[in-house]
Amino acid sequence: MSRIIDVGLEELTAMLHRMGELTYDAISVSINGCLHNTNVYTRVHEMSDMLVSMADDVEDKVFELIARFQPVASDLRTIKSYMKIAYDFARYGRYALDISYINERLGGLKECEEWILKYIDEMSEKVLSMVRTSIYSLRSHNTELAKTVSKTEQEVDEMYFEFLDRLIEKAHIASKCTISSVLIIRYLERIADHAAYICESVIYLATGQKIILR
Amino acid sequence: MAEVDIRKLNTWFKDNHVLKDLSLTIKENAVTAVMGPSGCGKTTLIRAINRMNEIISGSRTTGEVYINGINIYDENTNVYELRRKVGMVFQRPNPFPKSVFENVAFGPKIHKMANGKEIDKIVERSLKEAALWEEIKDRLNDSAFSLSGGQQQRLCIARALAVEPEVVLMDEPCSALDPTATTKIEALIREIGEKYTVIIVTHNLQQAARVSDFTAFLYVGKLVEYGDTKSVFENPKSELTEKYITGEFG
Repeated sequence: MSRIIDVGLEELTAMLHRMGELTYDAISVSINGCLHNTNVYTRVHEMSDMLVSMADDVEDKVFELIARFQPVASDLRTIKSYMKIAYDFARYGRYALDISYINERLGGLKECEEWILKYIDEMSEKVLSMVRTSIYSLRSHNTELAKTVSKTEQEVDEMYFEFLDRLIEKAHIASKCTISSVLIIRYLERIADHAAYICESVIYLATGQKIILR
Repeated sequence: MAEVDIRKLNTWFKDNHVLKDLSLTIKENAVTAVMGPSGCGKTTLIRAINRMNEIISGSRTTGEVYINGINIYDENTNVYELRRKVGMVFQRPNPFPKSVFENVAFGPKIHKMANGKEIDKIVERSLKEAALWEEIKDRLNDSAFSLSGGQQQRLCIARALAVEPEVVLMDEPCSALDPTATTKIEALIREIGEKYTVIIVTHNLQQAARVSDFTAFLYVGKLVEYGDTKSVFENPKSELTEKYITGEFG
């Protein structure tokens, strides 16, 4: 016989899975928009708003479950982690929106040299792989998969600082490109951080261990 | 205040082996909750701490229980004195058919702890410790039965505290009380836990989580898990504990 709280937990899980799918779409669309100079701001804005609203729904559901069932042990860890992850997903959405806004406001990477586009493309691939890992490990509560983000997160961090060094060396680069690329790289680095936070939450909910993957 | 060190405790009621090789050290000046499904031996365990089980015919106990380093199962133990040191509060409030004052004064009088005005002071102190003084200081001569259920239970706690115990045992002290009275008793348990070693048996898991510093989980007479309450309720070590507290069985 299943417990009454299981119905609520299943609803919460489904909400998180929907958020996961939407965040991946939002980040992919915004990065592609920047790399291919396409205006996707309005579309990503809608997605980001939806993610904020979904995070609110998750928070409401979590509070309802706490008030009605006083969850403990793995139930408590699950809902605590889900609330944090919903926030991380909403942040994914926000950074996706910020990236798409750069295209809208500053003209994006149009004036950039080829190496910058390649660099951002490569970093985006790494960040998107971390986002995918965070979503898949959440779906399956796969702690081993979750731990793998640590290495990529380090690589993203290194790329971030290396990019800044290279930009400083090449001070002649047009200012619009400089600002746009720095902001994009910064937002990608933040997305990578949130992917690591999500994976840390997955490990906590599955094992109770609090591990830092950053 | 006293540490209670239980070593290899076994209790039988005729052929029924209720407690099985149970060892546990209960910390002083803290509240320890004992939880587990019906029939797991919770009540038997706390009744072993003031040797109440032996008043049941057919009971037999082996092992040791040390309170402040003295084994209470030693043949020289004065059981009468032991039960002063280890007070007990039961499921249902059970005041004596006497006045409020006499209920609290009864223990200190028969233990010859004080007389005259000193008794008055003990009654006042005990009722204050039980958070009852302000409510009933003008009704000390009324019958204890004229109090509400929650007040009667706090009176029983005051009665237990009046003889200056070192350990206070509570066997589901809120199970017969409404939510308001339960809230008051729980707050009181937290308060007296700072001064006394309190051991509470409860079926209400949330109550265990709310009031205790440490939690012990018993299953079929064995200690499955013991630890600080936060860890037991957030991240239990044993799968059996996890299943019990999340409602998968019990």
